[in-house]
Amino acid sequence: MVVNSLVFLLFFIVVFVVYYTPVIKQSATRQNIWLLLASYFFYGFVDWKMLPILFVVTVLFYWLGAQIKKEMDKNEKGKASCYMKSGVVIGIGLLLYFKYLNFFAESVAEMFKQLGVGVSWSTLNIVLPVGVSFFTFKLISYLIEIKRKKTQPAENLLEFATYISFFPTISSGPIDRPNTFLTQLRTNHCLVYDKAVDGCQQILWGIFTKVVVADNLATVTSQAWNDYQSMSSSFLILAILLSPIQVYADFDGYTNMAIGVSKILGFDVTKNFNHPLLARNVSEYWNRWHMSLTSWITDYVFTPLCLRFRDMANIGIMLAITANLVIIGLWHGANWTYAVFGIFHSILFIPIVYSGKLGKNKKLKEGKYGLPLFKDFIKMIQTYILVGIGQVIFFAKDTYSAFDYIKHLFTGPWHFECPIKLSIIVFILLLFVLEWTSRKKEYALQIHEKYKDRQIWKLFVIDYIILAIIIKFGCVEDSQFIYFQF
Amino acid sequence: MERKEVFEKLNEIFRDVLDNEEIELNDNTCADDIEEWTSLTHIQLIVEIEKTLKLRFTSEEILEWNNVGEMVDSILAK
Repeated sequence: MVVNSLVFLLFFIVVFVVYYTPVIKQSATRQNIWLLLASYFFYGFVDWKMLPILFVVTVLFYWLGAQIKKEMDKNEKGKASCYMKSGVVIGIGLLLYFKYLNFFAESVAEMFKQLGVGVSWSTLNIVLPVGVSFFTFKLISYLIEIKRKKTQPAENLLEFATYISFFPTISSGPIDRPNTFLTQLRTNHCLVYDKAVDGCQQILWGIFTKVVVADNLATVTSQAWNDYQSMSSSFLILAILLSPIQVYADFDGYTNMAIGVSKILGFDVTKNFNHPLLARNVSEYWNRWHMSLTSWITDYVFTPLCLRFRDMANIGIMLAITANLVIIGLWHGANWTYAVFGIFHSILFIPIVYSGKLGKNKKLKEGKYGLPLFKDFIKMIQTYILVGIGQVIFFAKDTYSAFDYIKHLFTGPWHFECPIKLSIIVFILLLFVLEWTSRKKEYALQIHEKYKDRQIWKLFVIDYIILAIIIKFGCVEDSQFIYFQF
Repeated sequence: MERKEVFEKLNEIFRDVLDNEEIELNDNTCADDIEEWTSLTHIQLIVEIEKTLKLRFTSEEILEWNNVGEMVDSILAK
């Protein structure tokens, strides 16, 4: 059940109506029960076989959280640490089993084959549960935050289960932290008109970027990734140039829909993007891209590693960055291409680290006519192209294909035919312009501040135009979100 | 070392590392209060504090700090 489908719309209408009925909305507990039922239905609709796993790990981690708190209160830090580490091992074990066991078995078999030893085991047929990477990270962070005294445990199992399975974010994030989300489950939510309107606007903007920009561009990029050998060099270059905006429009589109749905239900969900297309170097890009994942990895992997390597100065920082980015890469799935993708990005960090500019990005300034400064603009283009080259590795079937793709850029024929309609090019340019002009907003269509000034007609006009564009130019094929598979 | 003295030294280190002369630390100051205090500059701060005060923190105690007050408690406990 994808968020931009009719089935989801019907599901959400039912959830919304019941959630705000007077009997339910009077109590946070009743609303949480309803949200939990809706979330389990949503998850079960995608794959009912995985529901027991979700339930069991939820109960287990709830219990572990309570044990950590109990031991911390008794000042038994060793025992608390033991419970926390057990939880982390279980969480990582869950990911290893579902995401990486096939990959590991295949890699070992390949290694034996290279050594001339024939092994015959069939690939394990393990089905990847939807959202496992997202809810496992929530489970792990819950235990670590309690151990680090950054959050209090959930008050009851219902609260915790609702946090873990919250349906707008379970399949593709954002990965909410317990300290920001659990407290929101402790009060009942009444329908706040302004917030609901804001949520609807955000959903509309998410649908626009997903079906008008991302899905139309996907037809070009997927052709390039899958059949690069028969494509011209110019087509392959075009795919590199379109890929960053396609992936961004896809994932940001989903995120906007998830945040919008959450807002209608009265929740504030963690921000996931901060205009990554405006990044002036790769370090800034990672600060602006998939922020709920990168901040998770920063807190639980990067900072502890940096502390451990703190006497090694820049070499220590580079080691921590490389480990960080390889983990981020492999988080997406079991393929060497994801590890190489992480290494590629960590190489791009070398000049930033050794010039002492890491973490010292200045605020974006406006130049003449409200445009970006020329030097910033050049850096944005450089970063955009480097990110595009990284996408070749990310989307390649294997590492050989990634390098072969790059080789074909220089050896293939040159004949350029633009595979995208002019209207879509206009929308891409519009998206770039809006990225800049709306950089201080949460999302480009956020105009309800003006609406509060009684300019309601502007809101309606803009919404109708966007809706018309979606109907006229939106890609109608049933497309999945890229991040749904992770 | 007195608590007040530790705060004076930390103020100096924070201003120097984060290049911000306006920093005035108190028990409740945390990373959210100072724009320049990021995950990276946090490591630089730790290195500088350890060098200046000639002490060594464990990773576990650093990760448990929620504010400057808790950092000062750790320093005084050394």
